[in-house]
Amino acid sequence: MFLAWNEIKQNKLRFILISSVLLLIAYLVFFLSGLVNGLANMNREAVDKWQADAIILTDESDKSLPQSILSTDDVSQVKNANHLAPIAQINAIASRVSDEDTRQGVAIFAVQPDDFIAPNITDGHMFGRKGDVVAADYLKSEGFKVGDKVKLSSSDKYVTIVGFTDHARFNAAPVLYTSFETMQQIKGLPIESDPLVNAVVVQSENISTIKVPTSLEVVETETFIEKLPGYAAQNITLTLMIAFLIVISSVIIAIFLYVLTVQKASMFGVLKAQGISNAYLARSVVAQTFILTVVGVALGFALTWLTGAFLPYKVPVQFDILSMLIYALIFIIVAILGAVFSVLSIFKIDPLKAIGG
Amino acid sequence: MMPTLQFIDASKTFGDGHNTIKALKPTTFSANEGELIAIIGPSGSGKSTFLTIAGGLQTASEGDVLINGRSLKNMREKELAQVRLQDIGFILQASNLVPFLTVDKQFSLLDRVKQHNMSPEERTHLFQTLGIEHLLQQLPNDLSGGERQRVAIAKALYTKPAILLADEPTASLDSDRAFEVMSLLQKQTKLQNNTTIVVTHDTRLIPYFDKVFKMTDGVLKQEN
Repeated sequence: MFLAWNEIKQNKLRFILISSVLLLIAYLVFFLSGLVNGLANMNREAVDKWQADAIILTDESDKSLPQSILSTDDVSQVKNANHLAPIAQINAIASRVSDEDTRQGVAIFAVQPDDFIAPNITDGHMFGRKGDVVAADYLKSEGFKVGDKVKLSSSDKYVTIVGFTDHARFNAAPVLYTSFETMQQIKGLPIESDPLVNAVVVQSENISTIKVPTSLEVVETETFIEKLPGYAAQNITLTLMIAFLIVISSVIIAIFLYVLTVQKASMFGVLKAQGISNAYLARSVVAQTFILTVVGVALGFALTWLTGAFLPYKVPVQFDILSMLIYALIFIIVAILGAVFSVLSIFKIDPLKAIGG
Repeated sequence: MMPTLQFIDASKTFGDGHNTIKALKPTTFSANEGELIAIIGPSGSGKSTFLTIAGGLQTASEGDVLINGRSLKNMREKELAQVRLQDIGFILQASNLVPFLTVDKQFSLLDRVKQHNMSPEERTHLFQTLGIEHLLQQLPNDLSGGERQRVAIAKALYTKPAILLADEPTASLDSDRAFEVMSLLQKQTKLQNNTTIVVTHDTRLIPYFDKVFKMTDGVLKQEN
């Protein structure tokens, strides 16, 4: 540590530049991981908020909510679940009546207002009358507000925003929560008829004990999310990008540290000639790498948070401190492995050659 | 009294087959505590080979070398490094200073890696004798060639090695400073009772030495 620290103190500019490279690589990885989380969250946050254990869909639906249609009879046959919440879904384009240019793709969910999947209200009140909807608060940034009359592309009826809820996006679209009656109306079905249900959301301690008719299947929440259109492909792509970035940056870091060590070969040779052991010199190189990497990664971490604080609302970035810490740890380990690799070059230095013998 | 350094029919051959070069012919040599010895001879005569074998930086091809009675013959690099650290001090032509450590910290590094019994008073005296006490906060790059060499000598003497090996220690010094340095090496050799072997071209320095050996084409012979 003595050699490592003194070298850093005497060559500040060089080590600031090295730490800056590590900072930028860490920043890029942290930011991409935030993007992975943010994009994933756009797809799943409404489902996550339900805190459901499983979703019951028709066997033929291939775990797709809009493709699943359950009858009232099917729903009544579901047994052994702690809580059941029927749900109906339809996608639409919503636009404010007062300003039809404000078109926004939405997912409309029909739920019962007293079920566990009913939205919590952050502004306004819960839907009660026919035509009332509770909107995801993301729509506020698009200019929607409580009291707005909204036209839906799939219907000639209008709905009215009576309240807002938070964390309500499904498959990248903001959610409008409403009653089954309103949903019947939107779909152009008679209100008196049995409401169409797409699925039943379940909370249960043991989902394997849930009994359903043979035409239905119990799908774990995570499996249901994985099957959302585009979700898995997007996640795999971005995760692969991060993996490649880590592999490429690992190689860059290892080469960097190797060159840095090789540049000091003659100095190490002279120290070896004086009898200073390989182990002492190796510890010094590893300690220096540790200091540089921790500083670079910590600053990358801080810069990422700072960037996050100033990003526009629409940028789908969400930083997860745990995954960032894991990436930081991977970086430090990779850099130390790179240093260990460069240490091998110290072992090969012939002190005799270094002193010109 | 056991010699500090012994060469027993030690030779060094480089290359193999028809291209062998015998850099050091079979040599028998011994040096005792308190002796200041000069090795003189033309360039390429084998002086540096002798010095580096004596310092455990390379091993003899045949014969043996003993330091304080310990054979270097079958030692692994780790053990040789330990011998170099504990028993030998080097003064090299190119100064052996760490470029990013101040003069003071060059000695702190030695304090960390090597056990020695240099008291603070002895340390101050050593620095004053070599005229480096005002250079302690300087970096090697800020020193003149002569100052660097004086610091390198202080570094070599600092841990009181049993054997001090110097390769042209006065090469970068002016005459006055060269005589001063030789006088200092002479004094320290007697004071620390170590063995000092100096490779030099400068025959003006010969009066300082207890013994003078001449190396010619790999053959070491004592001069009168």
